[in-house]
Amino acid sequence: MDDTEPSDGSGPSPAGPEPDPSPGGVEVSDALGDIVDADTGEGELERTIGLVGGLAIGIGTMIGAGIFVFPGLAAENAGPAAALSFAIGAVVALLVALPTSELATAMPRSGGGYFFISRGLGTGPGAIVGLGLWLGLVFAAAFYLVGLGSYAGQVFLEAGIALPVNPAVPLGVAFGIGLTVLSLFGTENTASLQNGIVIVLLVILTLFLSYGSLDALGVFGSESVPERFFPPGGALPVLQTAALVFTSYLGFAQVATVAGDIKEPSRNLPLAMVGSVIVVGVFYVVTIFVATSAFGSARLGEFGETAMVEVAREFAGFPGALAIVIAGLLATFSSANASILSASRAVYAVSRDGLIPEAASRLNLKYGTPHVALGLAGGPIVVLSATGQVELLAEVASFLHLVMYGLICVALIQLRRERPDWYTPTFRCPAGFAVAGVGGLASFALIAFMQPASIAIGFVVMALSYAWYRYYATGVDLKGEF
Amino acid sequence: MTLTHTPTTDEQPTTDGGRPTDESGTSGRDDSERPPERPTVLVPLEVLEGDSLPAGVPDLLANAHVVLLGYHVLPDQTATEQAREQFGDKAMSKLNGFADTLTETGATVETRLVFTHDEQTTIDRLIYEYDSLAVLVPNSVESLESVLVAVRGTVGIGRNTRLVAGLFAGTDIGVTLYHILGEGEPEDDAETLLNGVRSELVERGMEPGAIDVLVETPSEQTPIDAIAELGETHDAVVMGETDPSVTTFVFGMPSEQVAERFLGPVLVVQRERTDADEESEE
Repeated sequence: MDDTEPSDGSGPSPAGPEPDPSPGGVEVSDALGDIVDADTGEGELERTIGLVGGLAIGIGTMIGAGIFVFPGLAAENAGPAAALSFAIGAVVALLVALPTSELATAMPRSGGGYFFISRGLGTGPGAIVGLGLWLGLVFAAAFYLVGLGSYAGQVFLEAGIALPVNPAVPLGVAFGIGLTVLSLFGTENTASLQNGIVIVLLVILTLFLSYGSLDALGVFGSESVPERFFPPGGALPVLQTAALVFTSYLGFAQVATVAGDIKEPSRNLPLAMVGSVIVVGVFYVVTIFVATSAFGSARLGEFGETAMVEVAREFAGFPGALAIVIAGLLATFSSANASILSASRAVYAVSRDGLIPEAASRLNLKYGTPHVALGLAGGPIVVLSATGQVELLAEVASFLHLVMYGLICVALIQLRRERPDWYTPTFRCPAGFAVAGVGGLASFALIAFMQPASIAIGFVVMALSYAWYRYYATGVDLKGEF
Repeated sequence: MTLTHTPTTDEQPTTDGGRPTDESGTSGRDDSERPPERPTVLVPLEVLEGDSLPAGVPDLLANAHVVLLGYHVLPDQTATEQAREQFGDKAMSKLNGFADTLTETGATVETRLVFTHDEQTTIDRLIYEYDSLAVLVPNSVESLESVLVAVRGTVGIGRNTRLVAGLFAGTDIGVTLYHILGEGEPEDDAETLLNGVRSELVERGMEPGAIDVLVETPSEQTPIDAIAELGETHDAVVMGETDPSVTTFVFGMPSEQVAERFLGPVLVVQRERTDADEESEE
């Protein structure tokens, strides 16, 4: 840094970063351990999320899908080997989480993957990822909402109220509208609520899965006869299922989208991202093991999105089913909510950089919420959840995220080779080139195993994003810009 | 922003753009020219709400070194960066206006502007950073003649007297030292306590005639109610944090409850912060 004011550098400063004389306020790299960002002349930003909060965001976003929506669908496609599909997803997610952690500690700013890619690789890839991230989160949120609707519908079933139509989609749409309105006007801080939900979920799941595992291993009663581990189609259905259920691992990147709020980012960002992937990965694998021991895969598939309720009923009767219905409601609710909020942050990030009109990130002074951005997130989410296409929504969400993950790995390799002055991460991904290389290849490879329709929609979204960039934002140069 | 406990002209915040705050407030570079040490008082303000400083606050803090914290709380769904981009300029110019008002009445001022999701985290952090002697709950008051000083016990007396003498020595403002007897506490002991405080205040430059002493036996009321009620006959209240071992928070504490009922400015004396405290809060 070119500090032209000697008086500024003298004397110990408890506040951390020295003000930078250049306009725009460059973030000083050694300031990462500090609590507050550099003051750009318009005020400081308080970092308010600690390690527990970061883990809660990651776990809370992810766990809704893998445990409460996918087991039935996954088992139907891949049998007990669906556990392997989830394990593959976890490995890919970890291979991406490590490079993401390094980039996040070098650029602990809101915007996550979009920010890293636009700064590391330039505006074009940035635009594809930024707009893709917005829509990817929109698809993910719609997927969670259908799951939430399924669990809300299950409440009617458990209460013995017969409904003329499957209520999952209408309820999902209603929740989508409700959550959007809540995020527009709800000024209560929800962080502690999120932490509470995650703790309750983990307790219920740990009890349930411990009992289920012991039962499956024959501790209570007879050991269940395992069915053939691999499905008839061999490895292909396992990989296809891995691509489908990868939506269950999208949450760790959400931690990066709030990187600007995380305290001690150099320590907490990597821990929260890697930690949450490991925690949910273990839960997913055990869940599939327990579920496929309780029922045959075909039966599980018939139960659909709420298969875990039947598994719990098998083990613990009505109380078990009730506990899982409640847990499922909480989990899908928190995933949907987190995705809506992240989508609005993605809109903010691209609007801040001038890739879409600035009006998209205007805040409402009274409520302090970005009403346009939330509308741009909530509107399409409601429309998409009305389609009720669970697998398609999940795959398109995964597609758009996987493109981002692959490019994150490319960005890491690029930045490590270029070594720009501003690139001084405080966490370094071990075996960086190898991990990023394998992670990037694995991310792109997983896309190949999706349904053709999902791939087509994904490419259309990417093409439209790029076309928009050529039309609207050709003059914007973001590479290396802070 | 560069921070220091003794603001000097060459360390002016870059944001001030040549605003003469510190020059006029500091009567020179030599600290010994300022008779009693200026107590550091943190003044948190929701900067985007309200158009002026609460009345009476500039007079109350004329002899203080004020850390003026302008903050704006955002819901979790909003990135703080986003708010700074949109409201930063406006908030900073308002805050500088407030700082000028304080400077005109004699205070030395440092300003900080923070966009936060949690005001408590921010206030607490700044208390540590500046080792603030007290935090002001910034309610307004019309005129300032007498101040009620609640004295709980011997703990923290040093900081309490530094604040009171620092703010009010050499002014027309009178103080009333107030203690509510604990269970089985002899009245003599309480008077000894308060007289000790008084002589320390006098030592620090206050006029003996400006200090009253009041000991009360506990009634049905809680001490909080008693302080708030008695406060109504005064213009401002000085009290300590309560049970710092439980929490270091300023608001939502007895001091806050007093401020809510008393409706005037309340100065909450902070216990001394140590590094160990800070780590335990992580």
